[in-house]
Amino acid sequence: MASDGVPQYVYGVVPADGRGRARAPGIGGEGVRVIRAGRVGALASPVPDADGELPAGREELRAHAQVLEAALAEFAAVLPMRFGIVMPSDAAVRDELLGPHSAQLEAQLDELAGKFEMGLKALYDEDAILREIVTENREARALRAAIAAAPADATYPQRIRLGELIAAGLDERRLVDERAIAERLERFAIAVDLRPPIHERMALNAAFLLDRERLGRFDEELELLAAESHPRIGFRLTGPLPPHSFVELSVER
Amino acid sequence: MATAMQYGSGTRPYRGGSGYVARSSSSGLYDVLELILDKGLVIDVFVRVSLIGIEILTVDARIVIASVDTYLRFAEAVNRLDLMATETQGLPEMMDGLTESGASSKTKGAITGAREALFGDDEEVEGDKEAQGSRKRSSSTRRSRSSS
Repeated sequence: MASDGVPQYVYGVVPADGRGRARAPGIGGEGVRVIRAGRVGALASPVPDADGELPAGREELRAHAQVLEAALAEFAAVLPMRFGIVMPSDAAVRDELLGPHSAQLEAQLDELAGKFEMGLKALYDEDAILREIVTENREARALRAAIAAAPADATYPQRIRLGELIAAGLDERRLVDERAIAERLERFAIAVDLRPPIHERMALNAAFLLDRERLGRFDEELELLAAESHPRIGFRLTGPLPPHSFVELSVER
Repeated sequence: MATAMQYGSGTRPYRGGSGYVARSSSSGLYDVLELILDKGLVIDVFVRVSLIGIEILTVDARIVIASVDTYLRFAEAVNRLDLMATETQGLPEMMDGLTESGASSKTKGAITGAREALFGDDEEVEGDKEAQGSRKRSSSTRRSRSSS
């Protein structure tokens, strides 16, 4: 084939049934194609650099995600690859990625057909949560009064201690709220993936695996929960996204 | 580039419902980083990919939760709080005051803040500017050739 020998950036795996086309431009603006082997295919685009070197900046990250998001709408199922997979040639994609793992890939494509991921982040409102923690903690209240009554440079230890109490108060509340939110929503989802918080005021950082049918009820429940939690906790829902958090490949040599 | 523009326009306000959930149809840059660096299929050593540079990006993505800076910032925020407000202002009034700005915009602000810390300041910026310095990273991925 013409493109054999050209390094290929691989975005993900899709069914090779001939339905669906890759529409979004790939990394570096390159066209994305489906490289097929049997019943599975890989979304890939050529890497212009002959050594297969690739910059890993924001444009490349965006392009990777964009190709997969577009594919989610086009193909029956998409198995997203992690960012940064470059293979030496079309042949390598067929012979090393698709061929040897075809059974597992097909099984996952079947399993994830029609399903997608919704990302949910819950964040404490700063004023509301600080007020709650300080109001409920006698030591924090006393520290606050002491700090307010003295010049700033005289209260360094007190300020550190107050900050520690706040951080500990946030951790306690996060333990409770993360579980409560996840338990309330998981019965409407096929699966849940809980990740560590990525912000100091984040109560929950999760991905839910859903299908069209479940999304409506999940959404209703989330709206109820968000209304109840307002203004203490705010929610941000992202998706539908390709099921990044729910693909896996057990590797056996 | 067209890709980037389509990408940024994914955010849309929620239509209908109580509107307490901020929504976006596609992932923001921060979500992208979190998802595609940490999650997704990884094939075994046959694929011969090395992720030079990616670890650095991943480490950058971890926001340090507890540090002296954080403590001092919390203390400062607590001192700015008007605790009297809680005692005199009833919950219904607080709700009135907060409905307009809403939980959704707060959430968005903070997440944008985190994103800003990761990617510098050319992303949309609003809300929490929590002394997170802007850092930019660019590094490269290399494919190590399979020896054959």
